[in-house]
Amino acid sequence: MLFNSYDYLLWFLPATLLVFFALGARPRLAQASLTLASLVFYGWWDLRYLPLILGSIAVNFAIARALQRRASRPLLATGIALNLGLLGIFKYADFFLANVARLTGSSPQLLQLVLPLGISFFTFTQIAYLVDVHRRRAQEPAFGNYALFVTFFPHLLAGPILHHSEMMPQFALRSNKRPQTANLTSGLFLLAIGLVKKVLIADTFAPIADAGFGAAATLSAPAAWIAVLAYTMQIYFDFSGYTDMALGAARMFNIRMPINFDSPYRSTDIREFWHRWHITLSRFLREYLYIPLGGNRHGEARTAANLLATFLLGGLWHGAAWTFVVWGALHGLALVVVRLWSRRGMPLPRPLAWALTFVFVAVAWVFFRAASFGDAMTMLRALAGANGAASTSVAAWLGGIAGSLSAAEGFPRALALAPAVAGLLVVFMRENSNAMVESFRPTLRNGVLVALALPACVLQLARVTPFLYFNF
Amino acid sequence: MNDTAPSPLPAPAPAARRWFAAVLAAAVATLIAIGAFNAWVDPFQQYRIAGRHPPRYYASLHRFVVPGIVRNATYDTLLTGSSIVENTRNSTIGGICGGVGLNAAMPALTAYEQGLVLRAAFATHAPKRVIAVVDFTGFNGAPDARHPLAGPLPAYLYDGNPLNDAPYLLSWSVLVKSWRIVTGDTSERFRSDADAPWWWADGKRFARTEVVRGLDPRDLNRQFPQAPLDLEQMKQSFDRNILPVLAAHPGTEFDIVWPPYSIVVWGDYVQRGQLDVTLAFKRFVFEATRNLPNVRIVDLQPVAAITHDLDNYTDLYHFSPSVNEWLIRAACSDAHRVRSDNLDALDRQMRDQARAFDPAGLVAR
Repeated sequence: MLFNSYDYLLWFLPATLLVFFALGARPRLAQASLTLASLVFYGWWDLRYLPLILGSIAVNFAIARALQRRASRPLLATGIALNLGLLGIFKYADFFLANVARLTGSSPQLLQLVLPLGISFFTFTQIAYLVDVHRRRAQEPAFGNYALFVTFFPHLLAGPILHHSEMMPQFALRSNKRPQTANLTSGLFLLAIGLVKKVLIADTFAPIADAGFGAAATLSAPAAWIAVLAYTMQIYFDFSGYTDMALGAARMFNIRMPINFDSPYRSTDIREFWHRWHITLSRFLREYLYIPLGGNRHGEARTAANLLATFLLGGLWHGAAWTFVVWGALHGLALVVVRLWSRRGMPLPRPLAWALTFVFVAVAWVFFRAASFGDAMTMLRALAGANGAASTSVAAWLGGIAGSLSAAEGFPRALALAPAVAGLLVVFMRENSNAMVESFRPTLRNGVLVALALPACVLQLARVTPFLYFNF
Repeated sequence: MNDTAPSPLPAPAPAARRWFAAVLAAAVATLIAIGAFNAWVDPFQQYRIAGRHPPRYYASLHRFVVPGIVRNATYDTLLTGSSIVENTRNSTIGGICGGVGLNAAMPALTAYEQGLVLRAAFATHAPKRVIAVVDFTGFNGAPDARHPLAGPLPAYLYDGNPLNDAPYLLSWSVLVKSWRIVTGDTSERFRSDADAPWWWADGKRFARTEVVRGLDPRDLNRQFPQAPLDLEQMKQSFDRNILPVLAAHPGTEFDIVWPPYSIVVWGDYVQRGQLDVTLAFKRFVFEATRNLPNVRIVDLQPVAAITHDLDNYTDLYHFSPSVNEWLIRAACSDAHRVRSDNLDALDRQMRDQARAFDPAGLVAR
């Protein structure tokens, strides 16, 4: 089930809230209802994968219990290996087999397994828990609590990646089983912001990006830049909107999850970008990969190597393809460069630093979005103007895709890009959703905005998409 | 950096409670009002055949309208097929086959969708006859394959379950259509002729010159590229999508019609080595249905008088309204039936015609 779906918004979330708070006087039951609802949320996509997540939770809980009794490096290593093995089978096996085949010239039988939703997130969450138990920083004696920590539906599919220490105390609080108006109102407000970002803004950029990446070989440089910028905005609004919906829903259950985005496109260097983009992933990579590798404690060369290794693996975490590895490598290299540059004591002027960072991030997204390494190179050539004079101009290209721009039906075509323009203003000028929810007050203005935004977004969840080839 | 968000500013609880209740009530009331309006206008005829306002058969939204009309219209004979049978009037079907006819054609129809349409129809009807015109390509690929240009399938409209109709009732696109219907706004492309809801023939010429225009005799597939056919996939698709419907409704007569593509299509099959697979699939369908007394196979593909006269076509596949009428007449009579005693002869005939076809001569003429 997705947050931006009728099922979630119209019955799942309201029903889960009602049942949870109705059982508030019996905290264990309330908690059990939330776990059960989270499993329904997960199983809605495909029931066959429920045993997978339940098995993963059971095995990790058992290993954690054993680690609580006696710290054991081999046992920890076994636990981590089991988690990575599960991830490897479902996410990376075919990538590995295909690459081996390419090297050896063989033709292997690919597994072609469907990637279980959220597997990267619940695997990392549990690895972090095992490590923390081994370090004596966490312990959880109750299976029900642990199961809820892993399955809690707001974070299950797309994060944030949670720390046991920041969640379990909240789950344990009896007062959190009763409705708290401040959290209900601010949670609803944040949920509405997230929906607007995802449904009204991100999905407006999507057809521009899709059309551009689909026709990169013919695009002029300005058209290619528009396509890449559209994707840059799409991925931000998509992911941060989804995260806002997650944080908003969790807040309605009186649970505060860590923020995951903090206006990343305002960053003036890549280091700052990674403090603002997918913050909980950065935190995980730093604490459980970069620092154990030695961090910055063994000289410049080793630090650079650690940064590169961390970001190569971080890239691979995003997807089983070389394009993601290259994307991670680019960011790792950029971090090394920034690190070396900052030691020179010659900071760039802020506007220049911002522009360099933004352009780098946008160009690196080409590897993240392209279907293959070859497609990425095609887009990079288009960005550089290598498609020459015969390429499609911006006007011709935008004219050609005008029909697929997702302007709400019934509005003038000229307004098709209005949400995109609004999105740009939000990214660079407005306070972000974190700040907005912190200063939230249940005023008439906010009430009108939310009451308008919720139906407006729900009405955009399903579009009547025509058969494109309708000559007949 | 402080990762965990602090508490929001406190607000007086009663006021905040009122705010929460009022906002939710306003949002829910808005959605209920819109849903009720869409249900009342019902632009895709999901709950009733249009009566208050003239019906709108949207030129590219067959997949949204067809499930409603097959469930809610009154008919004795149902015609299902791809764009090649769109130019068939309901009155033609009824006039030839008796009773009332309904054309439920969809462009680029696949067997999966054809199965859904048939199941939607049988959920509320027991039609006397179903004429199912089938395309080879519709069976290719996975059993639930769909044409890449067909857009997302509104599956919620096919199951007859009003409890999952939120994407229909709470959709801005549908709201705009409802509003246009109520206000008489005719700015979008649709037909209101309930007798010929999907008709497009008036805007086309049916002539040999149209068929050969842009045709490359060395690569006949280039104009309408078709993927290679996979016999096993086709068999699976037939077994999964069509056969269960035939078997589940013994009281309905089914005419499975192999449509009269132009001979150029068979030339293309020869060029691409697809002749054997198509003929093998036809044989498979015959064998799979030979023990079902309510099923008849009608093979119009070897009828050279039609398929070799390219003036009947506007391109390789699409034939004229008069051929559509002839097709219905054939389905509702005993003509061109495939039986065990003519199966081999029909196979041979088709094979000979296909191999004898000379693409270069076609264009040179």
